[in-house]
Amino acid sequence: MSPRGIEGDVRPLAWGERLDILDALTMVLEGVYVHLPLKRALYGFDVIRGLANLRQQVPSLTDLEFHRELTSLVNRLRDAHTQYRGPWMVPDAVASLPFLVEAFGPADRPTYVVSKIDRRAIKDRRFVPGVTIEYWNGVPFRRAVEVHAERETGGRPDARRARALESLTFRALEFAPPPDEEWVVVGYRDREGRARQVRLAWETIEPGRAPVASNKVGTRIRRGIDHAAEAVRRAKKFRFNRGLWRAERAAPFADFLTARTVTTRSGRFGYLRIWSFDVDDDQAFVEAAIRLLRRLPDRGLIIDLRSNPGGFIWAAERLLQLFTPHPVMPTRFALRATPVTSALARAALTRAELAPWAASLFAAERTGEPYSSHLPITPPERCNDVGQQYGGPVLVIVDANTYSSGDLFAAGIVDNRIGPVLCIGEATGAGGANVWRSDDLRAALSSAKVPLPQLPEGVSFTVAVRRAVRTNDAEGSLIEDAGVAGQPYEMTRRDIFGSNRDLIERCGEILAAQPRTRLEVGHRGRARTLSVRTGGIEELDLYVNGRTGGPTIAVNRGGTLRVPLPPHAREVELVGFAGGVVRQRRRLTIARRP
Amino acid sequence: MALVIAGRIVPLDRDDPTAVFKGRVFIDDSGTIERVTASGAAEPSGFAGAPVLDVGDALVLPGLIDLHNHIGYNALPLWVEPRQKVPFAHHDSWTRAPTYQASISWPAQTLVAAAPEALLAYVQLRALVGGTTGIQGWPSANRKSVQALRNVDDETVGGTNRNLIRTSALTLKPLDLGEMAQAQRQGAGFIYHCAEGQVGSLVAREFVDAANAGCLGKTFIGIHCNAIAEADWQRWEKSRAGTVVWSPFSNLWLYGTTTDIAAARARGVTVCLGSDWGPSGAKNVLAEIKVARLASESLGLGLTDQALVEMVTAGPGDALARCWNKGVGRLAPGAFGDVTVFRPDGGGSVWRRVVEAGEDDVMLVVYEGIPRYGDAKLMTAAAGLARSSPITIRGRRRRFAIGDPDNPAGAWSWKEITGRLKAVRKDPAAALREARRRREAFAGPMDAADAPLELVLDMPFGEAPMAGDIMDHADEIVIPPLPSLLHDAAFFKSVKGRGFHGGLLDRLADFYR
Repeated sequence: MSPRGIEGDVRPLAWGERLDILDALTMVLEGVYVHLPLKRALYGFDVIRGLANLRQQVPSLTDLEFHRELTSLVNRLRDAHTQYRGPWMVPDAVASLPFLVEAFGPADRPTYVVSKIDRRAIKDRRFVPGVTIEYWNGVPFRRAVEVHAERETGGRPDARRARALESLTFRALEFAPPPDEEWVVVGYRDREGRARQVRLAWETIEPGRAPVASNKVGTRIRRGIDHAAEAVRRAKKFRFNRGLWRAERAAPFADFLTARTVTTRSGRFGYLRIWSFDVDDDQAFVEAAIRLLRRLPDRGLIIDLRSNPGGFIWAAERLLQLFTPHPVMPTRFALRATPVTSALARAALTRAELAPWAASLFAAERTGEPYSSHLPITPPERCNDVGQQYGGPVLVIVDANTYSSGDLFAAGIVDNRIGPVLCIGEATGAGGANVWRSDDLRAALSSAKVPLPQLPEGVSFTVAVRRAVRTNDAEGSLIEDAGVAGQPYEMTRRDIFGSNRDLIERCGEILAAQPRTRLEVGHRGRARTLSVRTGGIEELDLYVNGRTGGPTIAVNRGGTLRVPLPPHAREVELVGFAGGVVRQRRRLTIARRP
Repeated sequence: MALVIAGRIVPLDRDDPTAVFKGRVFIDDSGTIERVTASGAAEPSGFAGAPVLDVGDALVLPGLIDLHNHIGYNALPLWVEPRQKVPFAHHDSWTRAPTYQASISWPAQTLVAAAPEALLAYVQLRALVGGTTGIQGWPSANRKSVQALRNVDDETVGGTNRNLIRTSALTLKPLDLGEMAQAQRQGAGFIYHCAEGQVGSLVAREFVDAANAGCLGKTFIGIHCNAIAEADWQRWEKSRAGTVVWSPFSNLWLYGTTTDIAAARARGVTVCLGSDWGPSGAKNVLAEIKVARLASESLGLGLTDQALVEMVTAGPGDALARCWNKGVGRLAPGAFGDVTVFRPDGGGSVWRRVVEAGEDDVMLVVYEGIPRYGDAKLMTAAAGLARSSPITIRGRRRRFAIGDPDNPAGAWSWKEITGRLKAVRKDPAAALREARRRREAFAGPMDAADAPLELVLDMPFGEAPMAGDIMDHADEIVIPPLPSLLHDAAFFKSVKGRGFHGGLLDRLADFYR
């Protein structure tokens, strides 16, 4: 079906309903939206004034004009967390052109190529992966990307361009009006170097959501995600890799995690692709990751977070502990201190969730402090309850479409000194917040006796409620609009058409240069000894039931040894040192004797 | 104090709308109907010492509701513009007429400014005489005033929320309509003067705007809507049908046509009646029922007498109950204790009896459990509930209970009320000056109980040249003689050959012979 067909099914809103939408958005943006002062300062744009102005225009706009104006206003916040969903909303539906464009080369002189096509929808046999895109509806393609980027979220220009490149061919209809045009005329240069053009029509596809995707209320209010990007991610998979899309039906977390071994000139490494954190069950997600890690070589691990739109914050932050012997400090979050957020902290439905922030919100009523205290959403003890599971060096790949919980994961990697970040573009997507849905907000506010105007059927919005700041070395730094930077990398043609060949080689070089240690701890049944294999470890400390389990054990490099356990041993932790620094840490639970 | 009324009960029961039986209505001391029982049924507790008004075979109905009025203008007689030879096009046409200001705006403004309490007493008594217990279209005021009738626009239903009903007699801008629709979505009612004029005139746009704003729902009460063509009624979804208020007398007087009642009813819209205002309306809603029957016969609408009675009882009651969450317009437990009693005529259809009843036939009017007007014998029997004053209506001794604004425990007399109004009429300029002096001399807050009462009329002031304040024209103001409270010979004489009704309204006199 053409995306434009959706408009015909939508009941026009009455003016009063439009005013309800504007009043609800005004109330939430003024009273809850955590980035309001930041966005005003950064972009010189006052969304509240914009909404007031749109209010005056309500009777003179057509329905679609109203929705486009409102979408445009909200998008000027450059915040993918804070999005308006009009009544054309088709959950999980995506308007799509039957091909994908990707860029490679330096950022100031990118080359745009068709990387994937859906042959079922393209008759032009010369339009194949590898052709270079030069024009878009007669506009030079680079300019077309720039123009489209103006409508996109994203704090930095490179982030907006990255999103624009994606949304030129894929648009989540849950969050944006249907494309203006019914088809596009693409000017391209074929493999023989001849200039050609092809006309391609928009289609609507509905990839659905993965079986274990996030849905529960307990998860929904602890998410950091770009919902639109998540829908597009699934649509791409549905359109271009239907086999992978089907696989998730059989393997519960196949839509979120995949792993393989990659061979480079620097050696063989593990490669963990984290597609998304949008799950409900963080424990099952962590366990699924552990199962995958056990199959990978311990020489080093590449974690690929490109285009990860985020998801459940707990899932992202709890995963960090698997890669470090040190305690993980999660990102901290704060709310704006306003009468509305104070009401939320008192509300029956959100009192428990916001309990840690309540005291500072209430104090701010007297002091005028603009923000609450910054406190973690993921409890620190949950970020350290499993411990290190992968002992090799770790590297994370990100791009400007790595967003929200993806940003948090990347920040956690850097701030907890777990490993380097390799970045395609200037930094991650810079979505530093916890996002709530309007229906959850409405229910919470209703229980606080602060009623939000009733939104018409099919209308909703999402809003950033708690902002994230980094920890440790970057203590207090905002993620929103800044992102997490890393070592720069420019994509190559070989990356796009050769399974990221050059990128993986570069990762291999970096990993091979990292110091490497190894600690394998074995234990059978109710045996009273641990079987330990080490590499590069000089000393071991044993802890039993939380206390020191004896003197430090000296280890020959690359040695194998047995470590006796006292009879009462239940929780055992083995810590490996090299050069006086903690390099490895493993925990085991010993079964009791019958 | 509680009250019991015994007689032939016509409760307009939702489940049995044709029911008529000998019985009693028990109204508790908060003014709410406790129970409605057949004769011989057990009495609810708490009524042992309550006065019992036994009206014999008289008909005990819910109090009549006039769902459209501008009561601030009800001391004025019927008006015509001498130079107007064809019916007016719409509501903005006659406000531009050459004599509108001098005949309507200036006298009305002078009366509300110079004698606001007396004016309110007079117009309330005019409604009571016609069996009315609730009326729409009060002037807005700076403070509470003596009230003997239910103020539909400002009913708080015992609470403090004065926004249960929103009202606009003037055309609203689109954005304002949108805000009204928002209030409706929160449960408020919206009474809107909408599309008053001839079909095809530009005011039909008001209805289209109301539709686009989302106002056309169950709590929308559209007044007049006579400019709406049959096709435009389709904009009102049947599942969200609300209410239209029909004022056939006023419509025919000004425009020569009236609301397309058949089209409204076909959309499921509830039709109610309103007597509009003195300059172009009947004197009370009891007369408006008769005009509605004449219009029905003339236009072939096929309205039964029961349907006509429901247009001033259960129909408006249900429309208001949607906003108030409290029953009115039906005699049912939990509803407001508003009752009108009609004199028996020896049998026959009770509906016909009510439709054809004149002011002579109104025996008793009870507002919120307190008798406000009626036969002297009944009013005296309930003297413990309210002090009343005598008045003679067509030679019959009656009493009415409207509080004296200077002495809340006392009853205001007819002589004093009319005396104040006549004094204003005698020297409008002096009365205006005195009112201004009184207002400017007051030192307290203007919403205090002892502040001078300031009323603001709800109709346009007209567009003829009028510089500045009314005081600038004080010496030109002529207030017509105070009309009688009744549909009498003088009234019918003023109907015949005037207005644009084509003679249809001449037949109203037949009901009063």
